[in-house]
Amino acid sequence: MTNTSDPATATAKEHTTATSLRLEGLCRRIGGRPILDGITLEVAAGECLALLGPSGCGKSTVLRVIAGLDPCDGGRIVLDGRDITEQKPARRRVAMVFQSYALYPHLSVERNLSLGMELRGVAPEQRERELAAVLELLQLSALRRRRPAELSGGQRQRVALARALLRKPQLMLLDEPMSNLDAQLREELRPQLRAILCGGRAPAIYVTHDQQEAMGIADRIAVLEDGRLQQCGTPQELYHHPANLFVAGFIGRPQINLLPRADGTVVGIRPEHLKAVSSGGLPVRVLNREWHGASQLLLLESEQGPLRWTCDGNQALGDGLRLDWERRHEHRFQQASGERC
Amino acid sequence: MSGLLLMAPALLLLLAVFVWPLLDYAWLSLQAQSVFTGLEQVPVGTLNWQRLLADGRFWQDAWQTLRFAVVSVALELVAGLAIALLLHQRWRGRGVARSLALLPWALPTTVMALGWRWIFNDPYGPINGLLQLLGLATVPFLAAPELAWLATVVADVWKTTPFVALLLLAGLQMIPHDLYEAFALEGGTPWQGLWRITVPLLRPYIFIVLLFRLAQALGVFDLIAVLTGGGPASSTESLAVYAYLNAMRFLDFGYSATVMLGMFLLLLAGAAALLLWRRHTEVRA
Repeated sequence: MTNTSDPATATAKEHTTATSLRLEGLCRRIGGRPILDGITLEVAAGECLALLGPSGCGKSTVLRVIAGLDPCDGGRIVLDGRDITEQKPARRRVAMVFQSYALYPHLSVERNLSLGMELRGVAPEQRERELAAVLELLQLSALRRRRPAELSGGQRQRVALARALLRKPQLMLLDEPMSNLDAQLREELRPQLRAILCGGRAPAIYVTHDQQEAMGIADRIAVLEDGRLQQCGTPQELYHHPANLFVAGFIGRPQINLLPRADGTVVGIRPEHLKAVSSGGLPVRVLNREWHGASQLLLLESEQGPLRWTCDGNQALGDGLRLDWERRHEHRFQQASGERC
Repeated sequence: MSGLLLMAPALLLLLAVFVWPLLDYAWLSLQAQSVFTGLEQVPVGTLNWQRLLADGRFWQDAWQTLRFAVVSVALELVAGLAIALLLHQRWRGRGVARSLALLPWALPTTVMALGWRWIFNDPYGPINGLLQLLGLATVPFLAAPELAWLATVVADVWKTTPFVALLLLAGLQMIPHDLYEAFALEGGTPWQGLWRITVPLLRPYIFIVLLFRLAQALGVFDLIAVLTGGGPASSTESLAVYAYLNAMRFLDFGYSATVMLGMFLLLLAGAAALLLWRRHTEVRA
């Protein structure tokens, strides 16, 4: 199919090895209500971007619009320099791992995986070769004759991932791929998934509502709320410089302490940035204590409102406890707009 | 013991409506009871059964019944799937269409058979009326053997396709939508999706449709009795119609029971074959 003597296809080929995705003012409305409101984003080749937000914020819709499963009501999707906004899903060279995995229940693992290659006209020998390679990569070789119903949740997820990889996509989309797995398995799989996603040269978008997962897997995180992009940056940027109150409250566990001030601003201070002082500072009273071993989380009461404090597990909790923090750890936001000052 | 007690009502009901009539017929098939015996029962051994085996009309009707059932059920399956797919799509007025599509199924068979008899009437029915308007000759739909047979198929397909569509629609609604989305992202067309996803996943439903419809079509009576009366020259006659004629027209109750039982045994053999086929394909799949 490829004609390497043609300079145009040669350039195109160069691009397919390292693609990037750009969303320009992506909009989606349902019944006049905006679900996505001007999402602008860029994901570089080989980069994994996490779309993070509470349920109903529109993060899955972003994926569906990019994949072409939902219509785009405004804006452009540019993949590898070409505008794919109006293209049919099949022509976009985009692979998606569905939250439900969407495995074909009547087909064995190997048939699930080879069906797509068959549809795309891949030759049988090459099909078998690629199938064997991906089964090996995801440790599925022993399960190749099983039906999806005979697999565990983690195994199904790997089959779904294998199917997406076999698509040789220019863009990989993952819609909460771990939400059906138990917490321990999720933690085990995170580095594996990261190695696979970041090893490829196609960009990946990973939708999740779990910030731990987002931080553990993604190079950058885009925080979404109410169909609007709140902030996009590395996990460190989001953590140290949240752009607004929503991001400050959403990123970081235990949640940031927010103390309203009389001048119409809000001071945000992370629980781990508080420290005990012998004089000055803020007098507090302990309401509750969660002991985690090395650290403990204290729920405190102060004259400025309730506070969360993460401190050493051996911290003595006497009367007359006083807390303070360094000014450089302080975040300030406008109370009304929520924006960072 | 208490299990048996709890099942007793159902068992008794089955005995009363199924096993007892069957045994009664079996006994009757060993008697002669006709006008020649003054409608008294006279034991004749296997005479009725010997007659059945040699009865060309019985085997002719068996073939006609099978042909009617297979052809109409096949057509119903195809048309029913098409309608189910249509009613599964989202479009304006789908709810109304879903209700309307069921109407033929809700109509009593005798009523709709009378309707079709009028539609096919030569020369006064609407079809022949139309042909005459166009200056064409009228067609004796119900008087020519091959056409009359087609007429029974058309009427049956019209009547029972909604039932097939309804069952298959229920099956379609059980297929998760994201399978099709995954399929589309892999480069599959909707037409390929129909064969690769829809039909395989509908298989249990198709099996139920076949079971219900074949059992019903092989026992067809009312449609044919009203539409053609089994004619012309018994060319549309089904086994059930033949059994009825033996009892009610020829007043030969012993032989009628034999025809009934013969038909029952044929059906039983067919059902067993179908079940075996299904088990076979299930093991393979």
